[in-house]
Amino acid sequence: MVNLHVNSRNVDLDIKPHRTLADVLRTEMGLIGVRVSCSEGECGSCTVLVDGRPCTSCLMLVNQGEGKSIVTIEGIGTPDDLDPVQEAFIEEQGFQCAFCTPGFILTAKAFLAENPNPTHDEVSVAMSGNICRCGAYPYIVRSVMRAAAKLREFA
Amino acid sequence: MRSEFQYRRPASIDEAVAMKADLGTTAMYWAGGTDMVLHWMRSIHSPELCIDITRIEGLRGIEIDRDSIRIGAMTSLDELDRSADRHCLLNTLSDITKLMCTPQTRTIATVGGNLCNASPAADLSPAFVAMNADAVLAGPKGRRRVRMEEFFLGVNKTSLSGGELLEEIRIPLNPDLKVVASYRRIDRTVVDIALVNASSCISVDSDGVINGCGIALGAVAPVILRVSDAETLLLGLSVRELGRDREELQKVEELSAIAAKPISDVRASAEYRRQMVKVMVRRTLQDCAIQLKA
Ligand SMILES: Cc1cc2nc3c(=O)[nH]c(=O)nc-3n(C[C@H](O)[C@H](O)[C@H](O)COP(=O)(O)OP(=O)(O)OC[C@H]3O[C@@H](n4cnc5c(N)ncnc54)[C@H](O)[C@@H]3O)c2cc1C
Repeated sequence: MVNLHVNSRNVDLDIKPHRTLADVLRTEMGLIGVRVSCSEGECGSCTVLVDGRPCTSCLMLVNQGEGKSIVTIEGIGTPDDLDPVQEAFIEEQGFQCAFCTPGFILTAKAFLAENPNPTHDEVSVAMSGNICRCGAYPYIVRSVMRAAAKLREFA
Repeated sequence: MRSEFQYRRPASIDEAVAMKADLGTTAMYWAGGTDMVLHWMRSIHSPELCIDITRIEGLRGIEIDRDSIRIGAMTSLDELDRSADRHCLLNTLSDITKLMCTPQTRTIATVGGNLCNASPAADLSPAFVAMNADAVLAGPKGRRRVRMEEFFLGVNKTSLSGGELLEEIRIPLNPDLKVVASYRRIDRTVVDIALVNASSCISVDSDGVINGCGIALGAVAPVILRVSDAETLLLGLSVRELGRDREELQKVEELSAIAAKPISDVRASAEYRRQMVKVMVRRTLQDCAIQLKA
C-alpha cells in the first residue's frame, strides 16, 4: 500500500513498489498531464512539484513520493480558473503541440516563486531542463516573463 | 525485463547497513535514483530489494567547522548548489552542480550517488579528490575513512564492501591557510558527460606561499587520477607564479598528461584527451590564482 498526497488529495494505492511515480500518477490516478517522453530524466516532460520543488517523476519510485506534497498540472488551475502561469502561456502562445507544456509550466511556477523578477537569461537557464521538440523556446521565455509580471501584480 | 523488487525505508544508518549486509547483492541502496532507475530499466541491475536511504536523518546536510566541511551523502545536488555562500570550496562545488543534470533532476540526485556510481567522468569526483577529502563509510563493523582517490576502484566500482554505505564526505580545512579550488571540463553539449575534466585545489599561507596542492583528473582512466608528482612541484612556489609561464607549470602539465591513460571512443580520441588534460589543468590552476588574488 502506498499513500500519496497529490493535488491536495490523499489516496491509498494498492500497488507494487517497483513502479515510477510518473507511471503511477498517469495510470493509477489518471493524471495524464504528467507527460512521459524520454523516461531518462533529460526532457523534463514528467516534471511535478514535490514539496514545491520541480522533480522528474520518471526517475522517482512511487514510494519516494510518500509523505510529500505532490502537485501536477491538474493541481494548479482549471479551465475556468487558470493559474497566472497558464494564462501567460496561452497569451504568449508558449507552445506548439503542447506535449511538453505541463512540464514547462510547473518548472516555471517553482522558479518564479523564488525569483519573481527574472532576466531573460535567468529564465532560459531555469527552463534548461525542459525540452520542446517544436522549438517554441522564444515564446516560452516570453510566456515566463509575462507570468512573472502577472504574479508580481497579484503579490 | 526489469526486476520486481520490494521496497524498504530504513530509519537509521544501522538499520540500512544490517539490511544490506543480510541480503548482499540482491539488495541495493537507492538514493535519488537518477542513475539507479536507468540501470534498473536496462536490467544492468536487477535488485530484489530497494533500500531507500534518502530519508535517514544524519545522512543529509552540510556542516562547516574549524577543521572540516562535512557533506552528508544524501545531500542533493540542489542543496549543494544553495550552499555556495557558506565557504569558498562550497562555492566551487556549487558551480560544478550547475553543470550537472538538469534543474529538476538536481533536486533528487545526491552527492553520495554521484560518487558511489563511480563513473570516471562524474563531475564531483575530481574536485573531492583534489580537495583531499575522505569518504566516511558506515558498515556492520563500524566506521572507516577512505581517502577519496582510494574510494574509486574502477568503472562503477568502489571500495564499499560487505553492506557498507557512504555516510559523508569530509573535506579537511586548515584554519591557518587560505584555500581555493577550481573545476573544468570539456563536453560536447550541456547534458553530456565530460570528455576530459580536471580539478585543482590550492592552499596558501599568509605570505602567499603554496602550502598544499591537489590536482585530479577525470575521464582519462577507469578511476579518478591524482597527480601527486605534479602537486609536489608547486609546493613552496608563490601564488603569483601560478598565472605566469613558469617552467614548473609546464612540467605540471606534462606530468598530468603522462599520468592520463585515456581511451579513444565516439566522444574523442585518446590523443585529443591527453592534449586537453594539459589545457584543463593549466586553466584550473589559473582559476585558483585568480581566486586567491581576489
Ligand atoms: C538527465 C541526467 C543527467 C545527468 N548529468 C550528469 C552530469 O552532468 N554529471 C554527472 O556527474 N552525473 C550526471 N548524471 C548522473 C547522476 O544524476 C548523478 O551521478 C547523481 O549524482 C547520482 O545520484 P543519485 O542520488 O541519483 O544516485 P542513485 O542513482 O540513487 O545511486 C547511484 C549508485 O550509487 C549507490 N549509492 C547511492 N548512494 C549510496 C550511499 N550513500 N552508499 C552506498 N551506495 C550508494 C546506488 O546503490 C547506485 O549503485 C545525470 C543523470 C541524468 C538522469
